Amino acid sequence: MRRSDLGEFEEVVLLAVAALSPNAYTVAIAEELERETGNIVTAGAVHAAMQRLEQKSYLRSIWGEATAERGGRRKRLYAVTALGGRILEETSAVRNRFWDRISPAIRLEWN
Amino acid sequence: MKSEERRPDRPPRYFTSLIAMLIAPHLREEILGNLQERYVRRVHNQGVSKARRRYWLESLAYLRPAFIKRQKNEYSSTTGQLAPIYSHDMIRNYLKIALRNLRRQKVSTSINIIGLAIGLATCILIMLYVQDELSYDRNNEKADRIVRVGLKLQLNGKDVGGSMLGINAARDLQQEFPEVVKATRFRGQGSEFVSYGTTSFKEDKLLVADSSFFAVFTIPFLKGDPGRALTEPNTVILTEETARKYFGNQDPVGKVLSFGSEKTPYRITGIVRNVPPNSHFQYNMLVSLAGDDQNPSDAGWLYRMNYHTYLLLPEKYDYKQLESKISRLAEKQIGGEIQQFLKLTPKQFREKGDDFGVFLEPLTDIHLYSRTETGSGGNIMYVYILTAIAAFMLLIACVNFMNLSTATAVRRSREVGVRKVLGSVKGQLRQQFLIESLLLATVALVVGLVLVTLALPFFNELTGKALSVNLLAKPVIAAGLVVGTVLVGLLAGSYPAFYLSSFKPVSVLKGRIMATRGSFNLRSGLVVFQFFVTIAMIIATVTADRQLRYMQSQKVGFDREQVLVIQNTNMLRNNEAVFRDQIIQSPHVIMGSISGQVPVGNSVMDNTTVMSKENPDQGVMSRFYFVDPEYIPTLGMRMIQGRNFSKKFQTDASAVVLNETAVKALGWQQNPIGKELIGHTDDNGVKTYYRVIGVVKDFHFESLRQKIGPLVMFLGGNSGNILVKTRTDKLPQLLASMKQQWESFAPAAPFSYSFLDDRFEQVYISEQKTEQVLTLFSSLTIFIACLGLFGLTTYTAEQRTKEIGVRKVLGASVTSVLALLSRDFLKPILIALILASPVAWWGINQWLREFAYKVTVDWSIFALAGLVTVGIALLTVSFQSIKAALMNPVKSLRSE
Repeated sequence: MRRSDLGEFEEVVLLAVAALSPNAYTVAIAEELERETGNIVTAGAVHAAMQRLEQKSYLRSIWGEATAERGGRRKRLYAVTALGGRILEETSAVRNRFWDRISPAIRLEWN
Repeated sequence: MKSEERRPDRPPRYFTSLIAMLIAPHLREEILGNLQERYVRRVHNQGVSKARRRYWLESLAYLRPAFIKRQKNEYSSTTGQLAPIYSHDMIRNYLKIALRNLRRQKVSTSINIIGLAIGLATCILIMLYVQDELSYDRNNEKADRIVRVGLKLQLNGKDVGGSMLGINAARDLQQEFPEVVKATRFRGQGSEFVSYGTTSFKEDKLLVADSSFFAVFTIPFLKGDPGRALTEPNTVILTEETARKYFGNQDPVGKVLSFGSEKTPYRITGIVRNVPPNSHFQYNMLVSLAGDDQNPSDAGWLYRMNYHTYLLLPEKYDYKQLESKISRLAEKQIGGEIQQFLKLTPKQFREKGDDFGVFLEPLTDIHLYSRTETGSGGNIMYVYILTAIAAFMLLIACVNFMNLSTATAVRRSREVGVRKVLGSVKGQLRQQFLIESLLLATVALVVGLVLVTLALPFFNELTGKALSVNLLAKPVIAAGLVVGTVLVGLLAGSYPAFYLSSFKPVSVLKGRIMATRGSFNLRSGLVVFQFFVTIAMIIATVTADRQLRYMQSQKVGFDREQVLVIQNTNMLRNNEAVFRDQIIQSPHVIMGSISGQVPVGNSVMDNTTVMSKENPDQGVMSRFYFVDPEYIPTLGMRMIQGRNFSKKFQTDASAVVLNETAVKALGWQQNPIGKELIGHTDDNGVKTYYRVIGVVKDFHFESLRQKIGPLVMFLGGNSGNILVKTRTDKLPQLLASMKQQWESFAPAAPFSYSFLDDRFEQVYISEQKTEQVLTLFSSLTIFIACLGLFGLTTYTAEQRTKEIGVRKVLGASVTSVLALLSRDFLKPILIALILASPVAWWGINQWLREFAYKVTVDWSIFALAGLVTVGIALLTVSFQSIKAALMNPVKSLRSE
């Protein structure tokens, strides 16, 4: 289980790809992340993360259509691979298990 | 353009192209698309300017290794995109190929390296020289605030101004102008015998200076108090070197030196560092002016003008402002003095066509720009000329390189073709050739540096400088060298790179490249350029040589052979005449004369106005000579009218002998003998007159750069030298006996002598140096140019081997083959000769203008230069041509 090499940013990106599929490409994901987190997210950062994820076989990509707003350039569409999906689910499961174990008293203390 | 760039759907273009260049080609489309899309969306949501600002951030975020790294097998030619800027593997490959090529073509490689190395070495030497010339006086901390006051004075149509003024100028300027922070003055003090105990030296670099000297110039003290230095009379400051000379390692401060024959005591109050060689005035002792500077009322700005005056100005002050104010004061001061001496108002003086005034020269300009200074002798012209020579040498070496590489292009064309077929694009081929030439340039730099090290002592001797290779270690110069070498490599490699990379693979591989005539024309053009420079330099060298010979062989109007000058005879004090009488007893000595005046160089600088009795308003500026009756016969001068001074006539004490020019200037052509000049007026108003007793034929009492001026000779007790006319080939014995006699009179004083003809040659030392430098550089240029020519012939001959073979088989003679091969090279040389002649003619006439007596520039100089060049070029060409012509046609034709 190579669980350890999924970074936090990578994880968010991977989740975003899964959420936006089949229309997940760099710019869309960057914008989505900006909307969700309220922070500035550059396309470069997202792109770099996706490249790493692709190298780790959590993502695959195909050329998409060219649009005018890209200056007639094609976009690259990303999709989560089966491995990527499993990793996401596992990560989520780990988290959920921890969440479940947090006693309501503690959570009350936070609020 | 602007409006297009501002179009909202298009991000800032310059940045886009930078990104496009830097990121890896396989990611380019996607990334540029992303950037554009984000930009367009931001324009839509947030407006153009915010989008543009964000675009920077967005782009910068893409500049990370992940996007810049190329894929391993990424050849841009297949994707039709830009070639990668840097590819480690390819550069290794280029280097390998370059080394192989260089090794295979030994002749052209060595020609290239030698040529470039000599070019670079020359450049480095000249760079060192120029750097030194430009550094003069800049070691002074306040260098940009110091100016020197110069005198403009024209008397009887002759410039007699200079950098010297009377003793009062500095004081007056300091008092009159509050903007003068400090004024200082100093004068040179001929030579002086200085002794401490039994050690005694002749010091010839004494400066008599004000105590304000140290406030103006930056002089680091090793011992003593700079604030109190030179404030007291009879004190002296020594340089480190001088102190060591007299005292070794002892502390000299407080010790007392005795000066001159009177043994005047001078107390040492301080030791300063040696004067840097790049200072326009040099000294080894600074003598206090205090006590000597009573500013007598009769001393003004003109009277006894032998003080250099320097002013320290406030920071950021334009000296031109002061110059006009000083001019007004000078008008009053100098004008008054002119009126006093010449009885002419400034207006009358100017109406006569003469002029006077003062000007200021910034300290840092003195060495290179000052026309008044005789000592320091820098010349901005030489800096320009040498820089031009350096540039030309380097250019010629580059031209060689371009020429040879183009010529060898045929050999390389196959390689280019194959590379292209295999997918190289132009950019890569260019890179390859540029790397090759950079490699060559680097090797040449190393060889050049070795050459510089070897040549530096010789160069130093030639230029009289003390340059050292250590200077090259200065970061600025070292960086300059590296950048220079890279530039040379790129420049030299640029033409071949572009030329070779443009070959069409199809025609190259079919072997059709030879047909292009274009390259030949360009090559001829380059050869013309090389020989243009070479011929111009040869012409300059030949002229300089002729002028030098002319000056040295010129009849100067007196004998300078076999004349011995015994110096410093005033050390003998009262025994001078006795000594003279003793040495002329020798059968080898014909005659001896005691006089301070040696008619060589600028031994006398006094210009004095003389007036005739009948025309007292008409002053004539002349030089004075004080001689004894033996002077004229000893030097073999000719009397053309009247008689020489004689001891038989008591009245000769108030007699004068004039030279022809003086006679003419005074308007006495008819019968000058017996005419009278006005002498001085004594306290009772009684005038004394000097009677003309003879006229001596004009002789050159200065150098041949100046016209002979009026000269008045007096019978007078001026001593200092004994001129001895000898008649012997046993000079060493004669000198030894003279030395013995000298020592019997003055055992402490050194016996020193010189030969008049040696001194005569010394006067022309700067011309001699010019000539030597020119000879050196023109031989180097011709060498490099011929090196190139040699390389070119080698390849032409090789290329035409088959043609020559066919011609020989069909019955061509060796001579006709030779003519065939040489013709191609002679044509550009002849064109170069025609082009270079007028340019050189103009240049040498500029140079010759400095001389009053000069050679005429006639066609023979150009013919000679042409012949020399053509001769050397033919010799160069013939070696390869003869080889080609003599080759057995069977061999050359069988090669395929």
